Amino acid sequence: MLRATIKSLLARKLRLLLTALAIVLGVGFVAGTLVLTDTATATFDRLFGDIYAGTDVVVQAHSAFEAGIAEGSGGPTEERNPIPEQVLEQVRGVDGVRGADGDVAGYAQLIDPTTDDTIQNGQAPTLGNSWDPNTTTATLRAGKPPPSSDQVAIDAATAADHHLSIGSRVRVITQAGTSTYTVSGIVGFGDSDNLAGATVTIFDLATAQRLFGREGTLDHIYVVADRGVNDTQLARRIDAVLPKGFEAVTATDVATQQAQNTAQALGFLRTALLVFAFVSLFVGAFIIFNTFNIIVTQRTQELGLYRAIGATSRQVLTSVLIESLVTGLVASAVGLGVGLLLAKGLQGLFSLLGFDLPTTTMQIRPRTVVVSLLVGTAITVVASVAPARRAARVAPIQALRESGIVQSVSVVRRAVTGGLVTATGIGLVLDGLFGGPSNAAAIVGFGAASTFLGAALLSPFVARPLAAWIGAPFRSRTISGKLGRQNAMRNPRRTASTSAALMIGLGLVTFIAVFAASLKASVSAILDETIRADFILTGTQFTPFSSRLAQDLATRPELGAVSPFRQNAAKIAGGVVFLSGVDPATIVRTTNIQMVSGSVASLDNPSTIILSRNVARSHGWQTGDTISVLFNKSGRQTFTIGGVYETNEFLNDYAVSLDAYDRNFTGLLDSIVFVTAADGVRIDRARDAIAAVARNYPNVDVHNQAEFKQQSIDQVNQILVLVFVLLLLAVIISLFGIVNTLSLSIYERVHEIGLLRAVGMSRVQVRRMIRVEAVIIAVLGAVLGIVIGLVFGWVMQRSLSDVGIDRFAVPYGQLVAFILAAAILGVGAAIFPARRAARLDVLAAIAYE
Amino acid sequence: MQTEQRTDVAARAVDLTKQYGSGDARVVALDAVSVEFERAAFTAIMGPSGSGKSTLLHCMAGLDAPTSGTVFIGDIDLTSLSEKQLTLLRREKVGFVFQTFNLVPTLTAAENITLPLDIAGERPETAWFDQVVDTVGLRDRLSHRPSELSGGQQQRVAGARALVSRPEIVYADEPTGNLDSRSGAELLGFLRDAVDEHRQTIVMVTHDPTAAGYADRIVFLADGRIVNEMLEPTAQKVLDRMKSLEE
Repeated sequence: MLRATIKSLLARKLRLLLTALAIVLGVGFVAGTLVLTDTATATFDRLFGDIYAGTDVVVQAHSAFEAGIAEGSGGPTEERNPIPEQVLEQVRGVDGVRGADGDVAGYAQLIDPTTDDTIQNGQAPTLGNSWDPNTTTATLRAGKPPPSSDQVAIDAATAADHHLSIGSRVRVITQAGTSTYTVSGIVGFGDSDNLAGATVTIFDLATAQRLFGREGTLDHIYVVADRGVNDTQLARRIDAVLPKGFEAVTATDVATQQAQNTAQALGFLRTALLVFAFVSLFVGAFIIFNTFNIIVTQRTQELGLYRAIGATSRQVLTSVLIESLVTGLVASAVGLGVGLLLAKGLQGLFSLLGFDLPTTTMQIRPRTVVVSLLVGTAITVVASVAPARRAARVAPIQALRESGIVQSVSVVRRAVTGGLVTATGIGLVLDGLFGGPSNAAAIVGFGAASTFLGAALLSPFVARPLAAWIGAPFRSRTISGKLGRQNAMRNPRRTASTSAALMIGLGLVTFIAVFAASLKASVSAILDETIRADFILTGTQFTPFSSRLAQDLATRPELGAVSPFRQNAAKIAGGVVFLSGVDPATIVRTTNIQMVSGSVASLDNPSTIILSRNVARSHGWQTGDTISVLFNKSGRQTFTIGGVYETNEFLNDYAVSLDAYDRNFTGLLDSIVFVTAADGVRIDRARDAIAAVARNYPNVDVHNQAEFKQQSIDQVNQILVLVFVLLLLAVIISLFGIVNTLSLSIYERVHEIGLLRAVGMSRVQVRRMIRVEAVIIAVLGAVLGIVIGLVFGWVMQRSLSDVGIDRFAVPYGQLVAFILAAAILGVGAAIFPARRAARLDVLAAIAYE
Repeated sequence: MQTEQRTDVAARAVDLTKQYGSGDARVVALDAVSVEFERAAFTAIMGPSGSGKSTLLHCMAGLDAPTSGTVFIGDIDLTSLSEKQLTLLRREKVGFVFQTFNLVPTLTAAENITLPLDIAGERPETAWFDQVVDTVGLRDRLSHRPSELSGGQQQRVAGARALVSRPEIVYADEPTGNLDSRSGAELLGFLRDAVDEHRQTIVMVTHDPTAAGYADRIVFLADGRIVNEMLEPTAQKVLDRMKSLEE
C-alpha cells in the first residue's frame, strides 16, 4: 500500500507541486518572519554588546518606572534624572576605577548640506551624544573626536550615505537651535555603521551639555575598571559613594536590559507578522483540503480497486494521509528555503515604509526549522483528514463504476455544522470586542478563523445562485461564456471551497479597508471638531522638536496664539500613561476642549491637572479630587483635578500646564505647536511669517488644517498599504487554489473538452471558457469575502466607537476595485489551466478504447 | 442533376498512410488507402480490431494528421490546412457522433444540438432545427440535461447535433456500440432517414453487421488496407462476407 501511495505521488508531480505551493508560501512566511526577527534581535544584542564593550560600570539615576518604547520618539526613550557633575569626580576617586566619562545624550538632527533635507533613516531616532574619551561607546573610524564646540563626529553610515567627510560643514538642529559644525571625525559602533538605523552626532561634553540643556549635569557616567577588578564588586563600591537617587550597575546588566527591551519590541513585530503568516497557512489549508478532495474523487475507481483486491479501509485512509504527510513535509522543507528569501523581502518592505531592521548574517535557529516543518506538515495532514476519511468510505464495487464518489455528507448536517461554526465564530468575535476578556486579540482571531470556516461550510448553498448571478453577463453572449458559467455552477461544493480560500484573503483585506476608511472618517471629523488653530506645526515623522520654535513664533506680530504642546510618560494609578503639557491661555484659542466640569483655566495653578471623562469615570474621580502622579524626574507629586473634558484627540487622558510639565520632566521638546493668525492678518501673510521662522527648523512641517488632516489620513494609508502587502501572500496562495482546482477539473472533463474541440470549438474559445469559469470563481470568493469583511469592519468600528472611531465608512471605490482585481487575478489563474485545456490532444480526449 | 449529385464525392482519401512510432516499433495503421465517399450516401467501414478503421475516420475528419497522402472534404485538401482552419472545417463541414462522451453534461438537449452553431456564433434555422428534432423524436426532451436522458436518447441528440449545421459529411464512430439493440435500431433508422430524406452524407465505423446492414455500401478494412467492398448490403450478406474474409 505504501509503495502504491508513493507511486501515486510521483505519478502526479505537477499536482503535488501545485498543492505544495500553498504550503510552501505559508511556511515560507512563518520561517521568514522567524528568521527576520531572530536576525534583528541578534543584531541588536551584538550592537548593545559593542556599545558597552569599553565600559564596565554605568552610573545612572534610579528610575521610578520604565517608560517603555515610546512611539516615534526622537530622543532617548528613557527619562532619568540628571546626575550632578561633581559626582563624576567622586566616581573617579573610587578605588579600582581606571577612568570615567560623563555622558549626555539628546536630540540632534543632521541636515544634508547638499539637499537641505533632514537626515533620518525611516522612523529611527536622530541621536546626539557627548564624546566619551575613556569608555569609547563609539569607536573612531577616521579623523579625531570633536576638539571644540564647533566640531562634531558623525556616524559612518550618515557620512557614506550623504557624502560627508572630515572637514565637511553640516548644520545640526538641537533643542537649543540650529548651528553649523565642521566634521572632525567619523565613528562606528563595533561593526555597525550606525546605531541600528539611528543617526549619531557626537559633540564634546561641554557643548553637548549646553545643547541638551544639561549644564552642570550628566545623564550617565561610564566607568572603566582597573585591570583585574571585578565589575560587580566595582559597581558595589561606586554605589556606596553615590548620593541618594543614583545607582551603579554593571555594563553587562545595562546591555542585557536594553537588548531585552528591543527583543520585546521585536516580539510584537514577530507576533504581528506571524498572524499574517497564519492567515496564509489557513488559506493554504483550504487548498490542501480542496485538492485532496478532488483527487480522492478522481481516484475513486483506483481506490475501489485497492478495496476489491483486499485493502482495508484503514489502509486506504492511511495511504491518503501518508500522501499528505509526504506532501506537507516536502513543502515545508522547501518553504523553509523560501523563508530565507522572504525574510529579505519583508526587510525590504519595512525599510521601504521607513522601518529599518538591521541585519547581519541570517539567523536560522533550530527552533525556526522545527516550527516551520511541524506547522506546515501538521496543517497539511489535518486538512487532508476529511478527504482521507471519504477515501476510506469508497466501496469495492466503485472500482467498476464510472462516476465519482457520491457526496455522502448530508445537506442538513452540513448546514447545521456550518451554522454552528459560523455562530460560534461570530460569538467569539463579539465577546472579544465587547466582552473585554483579558486575551481579546486571541479570542477575536480565533473567532474570525471560525467564522471563515463556517462561511466556507455554508458557501456551497449560495455558490450556485451566486455563480449564476456573477456569470449572468456571460450567459448569452458566447458559447464559451455560457459553458464557463455553467462549469462554475455545476459543482457548487467545489466552486465554493475553491473560492473560500480567496474569500478569507479578501475578507481580511475588506475588513482592513473598511476599518481604515472608518478610522479616516472619524479622524477627519474629530480634527474638524477639535482644531481651531490656523496652522499646526509638527515634527517630520512626528518626532518632537525644539521648544525654541514656539518662542521664536511668539515674537512675530503676524501671529496670534502660539500654543506649544508636549507629551511624556508618567505613572498614574499604577499605569504608565501619556501626560500632556499645554499652555492654558492659548490652548483654548487653538483647540476645542469640551469641558464636562471645571475649566482649562484651572491649570494656571501648576499643581492642577485636568483629565478625560473616560479615566474620570473608570477611576471614579471628580473635579476637586486630588490624585498622585509619579514622575521619573521629580518622583511622586500630588495634583488637584481642575476639570474633566470629553475625549480629546490631542490631550489624551491627562493634561497639565507647561509650568507643571517643565518641573517634572527632563526632556523639553514640543510635539505640536498650534498657531493662529493675529486678528486682521491675512492667512497667507501669517503663513509666510511662520515659514520665515520654521526655516531654521528643517525637521518641522507647517500644515494648515486641511494639510494636517491629510497627513493623518496619509499615515493611516501607509499602514493600510503595509497590511495589504502582508495579506497579498494569502491572496496569491488562494489563486494557486483556483489554478489547482481548474487543472483538476479539466483533467476530469478531458472527454468533454475533446468533444467540444471535435465539433469545432477553437482553442481560443476553450481558453475563454476556462477563463470565464476562473473569473466567476474568483469574483465569487471576492463577493463572499467582501460581505464578511464589511460585517467584521462594522463590528470592529462599533466596538471602538467610544475611543473616538465613531463613524462607519465604506470605501465603495476600493471594494469595486477589489472585485475587479479578483476578476483580473482570476484571468491570471486561468492562464495555465486554459493553455492545458486548449492544447488537449483531441484524439486522445475522445478515445475510449 | 439528380444522377450527377448521386455520383458526386463528399470526401475522399488518396494514398492515405498513417504510421505510428519508428524503427522496430513502427506500426502502419493505414497503408496507402484511397477511398471515396459519395454524397447523400450511407457508407459503413468495417474491419477487425486494429484494422485501422477508426484511424481512417479520424484522418478523414481532420482530427488526426496523416503521415502521407491527401484527404479532401469537397474540394478542400485537409492536409494543407492549419490547426485553426481544421477547427473551422470541423465546425462547418463535419458532423460527429461518437460512441460515448457525446454530449456536454451542463447543456440541455436543445443546447447540445445547436452546439456547433453556438460555437460558430450562428443562429439555428428554425425550420431545419424543428425538422431534425422531429426526425429524432426528441421534441419533449429538449430541456432535459444528458443525465436525464437514456443512452439511446443521448445518441439521438448527438445525431441531431451532427446534422443541425448541415455538414458536408457526418462521421459516426461506433455510434451504437453502447446501446441496446432497440435503441441502436432507432438511431440507425434516424441516420438512414437523414440520408434518404435530407440527402445527408454519413460515414460510419462499426463492427456490428446489423448496423452495417443499414448502409448503402460497406468498405472492409484489414491491416490498414481496403480489402473488399459491398453494395446494398444486408446483415446476412455482411456476416457471410466477414466470415469469408477471416478465412
